[in-house]
Amino acid sequence: MALDCDAELMLRVKDGDGASFGLLLGKYRASVTHFLYRMVQDQAVSEELAQEVFLRVYRSRETYEPTAKFTTWLYKIATNLALNWLRDEKNERGQQRLDETSEDAPAREVADRSPSVEQKLLHQVKVEAVRQAVAALPEKQRAAVLMHKYDEMEYSQIAKVLSCSESAVKSLLFRAYETLRMRLAHMA
Amino acid sequence: MDCPIKTQESTDWLLDFVAGRLHGERAAELVRHVEACNDCANFVAAQRVVWNALDQWEPEPLSIDFDRRLYRSIEAARPASGLAGMLRRIFGPLQPLWRPVVPLAAACLLIVAGVMLHAPQAVIAPLDGTARVEKIEPEQVERTLDDMQMLRELVVAPEQGKNISKSM
Repeated sequence: MALDCDAELMLRVKDGDGASFGLLLGKYRASVTHFLYRMVQDQAVSEELAQEVFLRVYRSRETYEPTAKFTTWLYKIATNLALNWLRDEKNERGQQRLDETSEDAPAREVADRSPSVEQKLLHQVKVEAVRQAVAALPEKQRAAVLMHKYDEMEYSQIAKVLSCSESAVKSLLFRAYETLRMRLAHMA
Repeated sequence: MDCPIKTQESTDWLLDFVAGRLHGERAAELVRHVEACNDCANFVAAQRVVWNALDQWEPEPLSIDFDRRLYRSIEAARPASGLAGMLRRIFGPLQPLWRPVVPLAAACLLIVAGVMLHAPQAVIAPLDGTARVEKIEPEQVERTLDDMQMLRELVVAPEQGKNISKSM
Protein backbone atom coordinates (compact mmCIF):
# COMPACT_ATOMS: atom_id res chain seq x y z
CA MET A 1 0.00 0.00 0.00
CA ALA A 2 1.41 3.40 -0.99
CA LEU A 3 1.64 5.77 1.95
CA ASP A 4 -0.07 9.13 1.70
CA CYS A 5 2.22 12.06 2.46
CA ASP A 6 0.45 12.75 5.77
CA ALA A 7 1.14 9.21 6.94
CA GLU A 8 4.79 9.72 5.99
CA LEU A 9 4.85 12.91 8.05
CA MET A 10 3.31 11.04 10.96
CA LEU A 11 5.98 8.34 10.69
CA ARG A 12 8.58 11.10 10.93
CA VAL A 13 6.82 12.38 14.06
CA LYS A 14 7.12 8.82 15.36
CA ASP A 15 10.88 9.06 14.78
CA GLY A 16 10.99 12.21 16.90
CA ASP A 17 10.66 14.90 14.23
CA GLY A 18 8.67 17.67 15.91
CA ALA A 19 8.65 19.82 12.77
CA SER A 20 6.57 17.21 10.94
CA PHE A 21 4.00 17.39 13.71
CA GLY A 22 3.91 21.15 13.17
CA LEU A 23 3.24 20.60 9.47
CA LEU A 24 0.35 18.23 10.18
CA LEU A 25 -1.05 20.65 12.74
CA GLY A 26 -0.85 23.53 10.26
CA LYS A 27 -2.55 21.47 7.58
CA TYR A 28 -5.46 20.12 9.63
CA ARG A 29 -5.86 22.53 12.55
CA ALA A 30 -8.64 24.53 10.89
CA SER A 31 -10.53 21.71 9.18
CA VAL A 32 -10.65 19.56 12.34
CA THR A 33 -11.76 22.50 14.50
CA HIS A 34 -14.41 23.53 11.97
CA PHE A 35 -15.70 19.96 11.76
CA LEU A 36 -15.92 19.86 15.56
CA TYR A 37 -17.57 23.27 15.66
CA ARG A 38 -20.30 22.15 13.27
CA MET A 39 -20.74 18.97 15.30
CA VAL A 40 -21.01 20.52 18.77
CA GLN A 41 -21.96 24.08 17.68
CA ASP A 42 -19.93 25.75 20.39
CA GLN A 43 -16.72 27.57 19.48
CA ALA A 44 -14.94 27.20 22.83
CA VAL A 45 -15.82 23.52 23.13
CA SER A 46 -14.78 22.81 19.54
CA GLU A 47 -11.34 24.32 20.19
CA GLU A 48 -10.94 22.33 23.40
CA LEU A 49 -11.86 19.14 21.57
CA ALA A 50 -9.52 19.99 18.69
CA GLN A 51 -6.70 20.48 21.19
CA GLU A 52 -7.48 17.05 22.59
CA VAL A 53 -7.46 15.53 19.08
CA PHE A 54 -3.95 16.81 18.32
CA LEU A 55 -2.73 15.95 21.80
CA ARG A 56 -3.90 12.37 21.23
CA VAL A 57 -2.24 12.30 17.83
CA TYR A 58 1.03 13.38 19.43
CA ARG A 59 0.72 10.94 22.32
CA SER A 60 -0.03 8.04 19.96
CA ARG A 61 2.98 8.76 17.72
CA GLU A 62 5.00 5.86 19.11
CA THR A 63 2.29 3.30 18.41
CA TYR A 64 1.16 4.83 15.10
CA GLU A 65 0.89 2.40 12.19
CA PRO A 66 -0.18 3.69 8.77
CA THR A 67 -2.88 1.08 8.22
CA ALA A 68 -5.33 3.67 6.85
CA LYS A 69 -5.20 7.20 5.50
CA PHE A 70 -3.95 9.68 8.08
CA THR A 71 -7.12 11.78 7.75
CA THR A 72 -9.28 8.72 8.42
CA TRP A 73 -7.43 8.17 11.70
CA LEU A 74 -7.53 11.89 12.53
CA TYR A 75 -11.27 12.25 11.88
CA LYS A 76 -11.99 9.03 13.74
CA ILE A 77 -10.42 10.56 16.85
CA ALA A 78 -12.29 13.84 16.27
CA THR A 79 -15.65 12.14 15.62
CA ASN A 80 -15.36 9.92 18.69
CA LEU A 81 -14.53 12.90 20.88
CA ALA A 82 -17.45 14.89 19.45
CA LEU A 83 -19.92 12.01 19.84
CA ASN A 84 -18.79 11.43 23.43
CA TRP A 85 -19.14 15.13 24.22
CA LEU A 86 -22.63 15.25 22.66
CA ARG A 87 -23.66 12.17 24.64
CA ASP A 88 -22.41 13.66 27.91
CA GLU A 89 -24.00 17.00 27.08
CA LYS A 90 -27.31 15.31 26.28
CA ASN A 91 -27.24 13.48 29.63
CA GLU A 92 -26.39 16.69 31.46
CA ARG A 93 -29.12 18.62 29.68
CA GLY A 94 -31.60 15.86 30.45
CA GLN A 95 -30.64 16.05 34.11
CA GLN A 96 -30.99 19.84 34.10
CA ARG A 97 -34.40 19.55 32.50
CA LEU A 98 -35.47 17.20 35.30
CA ASP A 99 -34.17 19.68 37.88
CA GLU A 100 -35.86 22.68 36.30
CA THR A 101 -39.19 23.82 37.71
CA SER A 102 -40.21 25.69 34.57
CA GLU A 103 -40.86 23.58 31.49
CA ASP A 104 -40.22 26.39 29.05
CA ALA A 105 -36.48 26.70 28.70
CA PRO A 106 -35.42 29.84 26.87
CA ALA A 107 -34.82 29.22 23.17
CA ARG A 108 -31.32 29.73 21.83
CA GLU A 109 -31.09 33.21 20.45
CA VAL A 110 -29.39 34.38 17.31
CA ALA A 111 -26.18 36.23 18.09
CA ASP A 112 -26.56 39.98 17.79
CA ARG A 113 -23.85 41.07 15.39
CA SER A 114 -24.67 44.72 14.64
CA PRO A 115 -27.62 44.11 12.28
CA SER A 116 -27.37 47.40 10.49
CA VAL A 117 -27.51 46.08 6.94
CA GLU A 118 -30.55 44.16 5.76
CA GLN A 119 -28.49 41.68 3.79
CA LYS A 120 -26.39 40.87 6.82
CA LEU A 121 -29.52 40.21 8.83
CA LEU A 122 -30.94 37.98 6.15
CA HIS A 123 -27.68 36.08 5.97
CA GLN A 124 -27.72 35.57 9.74
CA VAL A 125 -31.26 34.25 9.62
CA LYS A 126 -30.31 31.82 6.86
CA VAL A 127 -27.20 30.64 8.68
CA GLU A 128 -29.23 30.15 11.84
CA ALA A 129 -31.75 28.06 9.90
CA VAL A 130 -28.94 25.92 8.50
CA ARG A 131 -27.34 25.57 11.91
CA GLN A 132 -30.61 24.45 13.47
CA ALA A 133 -31.37 22.03 10.65
CA VAL A 134 -27.95 20.40 10.98
CA ALA A 135 -28.18 20.34 14.77
CA ALA A 136 -31.49 18.51 14.55
CA LEU A 137 -29.94 15.63 12.60
CA PRO A 138 -29.06 12.45 14.49
CA GLU A 139 -25.38 12.58 15.47
CA LYS A 140 -24.07 9.97 13.01
CA GLN A 141 -26.02 11.51 10.12
CA ARG A 142 -24.65 14.91 11.12
CA ALA A 143 -21.06 13.64 11.16
CA ALA A 144 -21.54 11.96 7.77
CA VAL A 145 -22.99 15.11 6.19
CA LEU A 146 -20.22 17.32 7.56
CA MET A 147 -17.46 15.00 6.35
CA HIS A 148 -19.17 14.62 2.95
CA LYS A 149 -19.97 18.29 2.43
CA TYR A 150 -17.14 20.25 4.05
CA ASP A 151 -14.23 17.80 4.08
CA GLU A 152 -15.09 16.25 0.71
CA MET A 153 -14.45 12.75 2.00
CA GLU A 154 -15.23 9.67 -0.03
CA TYR A 155 -17.91 7.24 1.12
CA SER A 156 -15.31 4.59 1.91
CA GLN A 157 -13.38 6.97 4.15
CA ILE A 158 -16.51 8.16 5.97
CA ALA A 159 -17.40 4.49 6.48
CA LYS A 160 -14.04 3.83 8.13
CA VAL A 161 -14.35 6.88 10.37
CA LEU A 162 -17.85 5.88 11.48
CA SER A 163 -16.96 2.17 11.65
CA CYS A 164 -19.75 1.07 9.33
CA SER A 165 -20.18 -0.18 5.77
CA GLU A 166 -20.07 2.01 2.70
CA SER A 167 -23.70 1.22 1.90
CA ALA A 168 -24.66 2.24 5.45
CA VAL A 169 -22.94 5.58 4.89
CA LYS A 170 -24.82 6.11 1.60
CA SER A 171 -28.06 5.34 3.41
CA LEU A 172 -27.13 7.70 6.29
CA LEU A 173 -26.35 10.49 3.83
CA PHE A 174 -29.48 9.94 1.77
CA ARG A 175 -31.70 10.18 4.86
CA ALA A 176 -29.79 13.15 6.25
CA TYR A 177 -30.03 15.15 3.01
CA GLU A 178 -33.68 14.19 2.70
CA THR A 179 -34.34 15.76 6.12
CA LEU A 180 -32.31 18.83 5.19
CA ARG A 181 -34.19 19.20 1.87
CA MET A 182 -37.46 19.33 3.80
CA ARG A 183 -36.19 21.71 6.50
CA LEU A 184 -34.40 24.07 4.15
CA ALA A 185 -36.90 24.05 1.29
CA HIS A 186 -37.93 27.62 2.16
CA MET A 187 -34.45 28.82 1.26
CA ALA A 188 -35.00 28.13 -2.45
CA MET B 1 -30.07 4.16 -17.15
CA ASP B 2 -32.61 3.16 -14.47
CA CYS B 3 -34.09 6.03 -12.47
CA PRO B 4 -32.10 6.34 -9.17
CA ILE B 5 -35.19 7.65 -7.35
CA LYS B 6 -37.54 4.90 -8.49
CA THR B 7 -35.08 2.06 -7.99
CA GLN B 8 -33.49 3.61 -4.89
CA GLU B 9 -30.15 2.53 -6.33
CA SER B 10 -27.28 4.83 -7.23
CA THR B 11 -28.86 7.69 -5.29
CA ASP B 12 -25.29 8.59 -4.37
CA TRP B 13 -24.83 9.50 -8.05
CA LEU B 14 -27.39 12.27 -7.60
CA LEU B 15 -25.64 13.54 -4.47
CA ASP B 16 -22.26 13.41 -6.18
CA PHE B 17 -23.68 15.12 -9.25
CA VAL B 18 -24.92 18.09 -7.18
CA ALA B 19 -21.62 18.13 -5.25
CA GLY B 20 -19.75 18.35 -8.55
CA ARG B 21 -17.95 15.08 -7.85
CA LEU B 22 -19.42 12.97 -10.64
CA HIS B 23 -17.28 12.93 -13.73
CA GLY B 24 -16.90 11.27 -17.13
CA GLU B 25 -19.39 8.88 -18.65
CA ARG B 26 -21.41 8.53 -15.42
CA ALA B 27 -22.00 12.29 -15.25
CA ALA B 28 -23.04 12.47 -18.90
CA GLU B 29 -25.41 9.53 -18.43
CA LEU B 30 -27.02 11.12 -15.37
CA VAL B 31 -27.38 14.51 -17.08
CA ARG B 32 -29.28 12.85 -19.93
CA HIS B 33 -31.50 11.03 -17.42
CA VAL B 34 -32.22 14.13 -15.30
CA GLU B 35 -33.28 16.06 -18.39
CA ALA B 36 -35.87 13.41 -19.07
CA CYS B 37 -36.94 12.50 -15.51
CA ASN B 38 -39.11 14.88 -13.52
CA ASP B 39 -38.49 13.18 -10.14
CA CYS B 40 -34.72 13.32 -10.53
CA ALA B 41 -34.86 16.92 -11.78
CA ASN B 42 -36.83 17.92 -8.65
CA PHE B 43 -34.42 15.99 -6.46
CA VAL B 44 -31.42 17.73 -8.00
CA ALA B 45 -33.04 21.18 -7.62
CA ALA B 46 -33.91 20.59 -3.95
CA GLN B 47 -30.48 19.15 -3.22
CA ARG B 48 -28.86 22.24 -4.82
CA VAL B 49 -30.81 24.44 -2.37
CA VAL B 50 -29.41 22.41 0.55
CA TRP B 51 -25.91 22.45 -0.89
CA ASN B 52 -25.94 26.24 -1.35
CA ALA B 53 -27.45 26.79 2.10
CA LEU B 54 -24.71 24.70 3.71
CA ASP B 55 -22.13 26.80 1.85
CA GLN B 56 -23.31 29.86 3.77
CA TRP B 57 -22.48 28.36 7.15
CA GLU B 58 -18.93 29.50 7.76
CA PRO B 59 -17.25 28.70 11.04
CA GLU B 60 -15.60 31.30 13.21
CA PRO B 61 -11.83 31.78 12.99
CA LEU B 62 -9.63 29.94 15.45
CA SER B 63 -8.07 31.57 18.51
CA ILE B 64 -4.62 32.97 17.80
CA ASP B 65 -3.11 31.11 20.75
CA PHE B 66 -4.39 27.69 19.59
CA ASP B 67 -0.90 26.30 18.85
CA ARG B 68 0.65 27.80 21.99
CA ARG B 69 -2.00 26.15 24.17
CA LEU B 70 -1.52 22.85 22.41
CA TYR B 71 2.26 22.84 22.77
CA ARG B 72 1.88 23.77 26.43
CA SER B 73 -0.41 20.75 26.93
CA ILE B 74 2.09 18.54 25.10
CA GLU B 75 4.90 19.85 27.29
CA ALA B 76 2.85 19.24 30.43
CA ALA B 77 2.07 15.70 29.33
CA ARG B 78 5.71 14.90 28.50
CA PRO B 79 7.51 12.81 31.16
CA ALA B 80 10.08 14.84 33.15
CA SER B 81 13.75 14.32 32.32
CA GLY B 82 16.69 13.87 34.73
CA LEU B 83 16.51 12.48 38.27
CA ALA B 84 12.88 13.50 38.84
CA GLY B 85 11.83 11.74 35.66
CA MET B 86 13.84 8.64 36.53
CA LEU B 87 12.30 8.46 40.01
CA ARG B 88 8.85 8.97 38.55
CA ARG B 89 9.45 6.17 36.04
CA ILE B 90 10.69 3.81 38.76
CA PHE B 91 8.15 4.57 41.47
CA GLY B 92 5.30 5.67 39.24
CA PRO B 93 3.90 2.16 38.76
CA LEU B 94 4.07 1.58 42.53
CA GLN B 95 1.93 4.60 43.30
CA PRO B 96 -1.30 2.63 43.70
CA LEU B 97 0.47 0.44 46.27
CA TRP B 98 1.93 3.09 48.53
CA ARG B 99 -0.87 5.62 48.26
CA PRO B 100 -3.17 3.92 50.83
CA VAL B 101 -0.19 3.60 53.23
CA VAL B 102 0.13 7.38 53.62
CA PRO B 103 -3.15 7.96 55.52
CA LEU B 104 -2.44 4.87 57.64
CA ALA B 105 0.99 6.20 58.59
CA ALA B 106 -0.52 9.60 59.41
CA ALA B 107 -3.10 7.92 61.66
CA CYS B 108 -0.37 5.95 63.47
CA LEU B 109 1.64 9.13 64.05
CA LEU B 110 -1.42 10.83 65.54
CA ILE B 111 -2.01 7.92 67.91
CA VAL B 112 1.64 7.91 69.09
CA ALA B 113 1.52 11.69 69.61
CA GLY B 114 -1.69 11.32 71.62
CA VAL B 115 -0.16 8.63 73.87
CA MET B 116 2.92 10.78 74.49
CA LEU B 117 0.84 13.79 75.47
CA HIS B 118 -1.23 11.75 77.93
CA ALA B 119 1.81 10.32 79.82
CA PRO B 120 4.61 12.87 79.61
CA GLN B 121 6.35 12.00 82.96
CA ALA B 122 6.90 8.41 82.04
CA VAL B 123 9.17 9.48 79.28
CA ILE B 124 10.79 12.52 80.86
CA ALA B 125 11.61 11.11 84.35
CA PRO B 126 14.25 8.53 83.40
CA LEU B 127 15.96 11.05 81.18
CA ASP B 128 16.06 13.52 84.05
CA GLY B 129 17.48 10.88 86.45
CA THR B 130 20.20 9.86 84.08
CA ALA B 131 21.25 13.45 83.70
CA ARG B 132 21.56 13.84 87.52
CA VAL B 133 23.76 10.76 87.91
CA GLU B 134 26.04 12.01 85.21
CA LYS B 135 26.49 15.32 87.06
CA ILE B 136 27.80 13.74 90.36
CA GLU B 137 31.53 14.43 90.78
CA PRO B 138 34.05 11.95 92.36
CA GLU B 139 34.87 14.42 95.17
CA GLN B 140 31.21 14.54 96.12
CA VAL B 141 31.14 10.74 96.35
CA GLU B 142 34.30 10.77 98.48
CA ARG B 143 32.82 13.35 100.81
CA THR B 144 29.62 11.37 101.19
CA LEU B 145 31.57 8.20 101.97
CA ASP B 146 33.56 10.10 104.62
CA ASP B 147 30.32 11.39 106.18
CA MET B 148 28.92 7.88 106.28
CA GLN B 149 32.14 6.60 107.96
CA MET B 150 31.91 9.34 110.58
CA LEU B 151 28.28 8.49 111.34
CA ARG B 152 29.17 4.81 111.66
CA GLU B 153 31.95 5.67 114.11
CA LEU B 154 29.58 7.84 116.15
CA VAL B 155 27.12 4.97 116.36
CA VAL B 156 29.79 2.37 117.19
CA ALA B 157 31.57 4.50 119.88
CA PRO B 158 28.65 4.71 122.45
CA GLU B 159 27.99 0.96 122.04
CA GLN B 160 31.63 0.20 122.87
CA GLY B 161 31.32 2.44 126.00
CA LYS B 162 28.29 0.45 127.19
CA ASN B 163 30.10 -2.86 126.76
CA ILE B 164 33.10 -1.66 128.83
CA SER B 165 30.90 -0.51 131.76
CA LYS B 166 29.02 -3.84 131.74
CA SER B 167 32.20 -5.87 131.96
CA MET B 168 33.46 -3.83 134.89
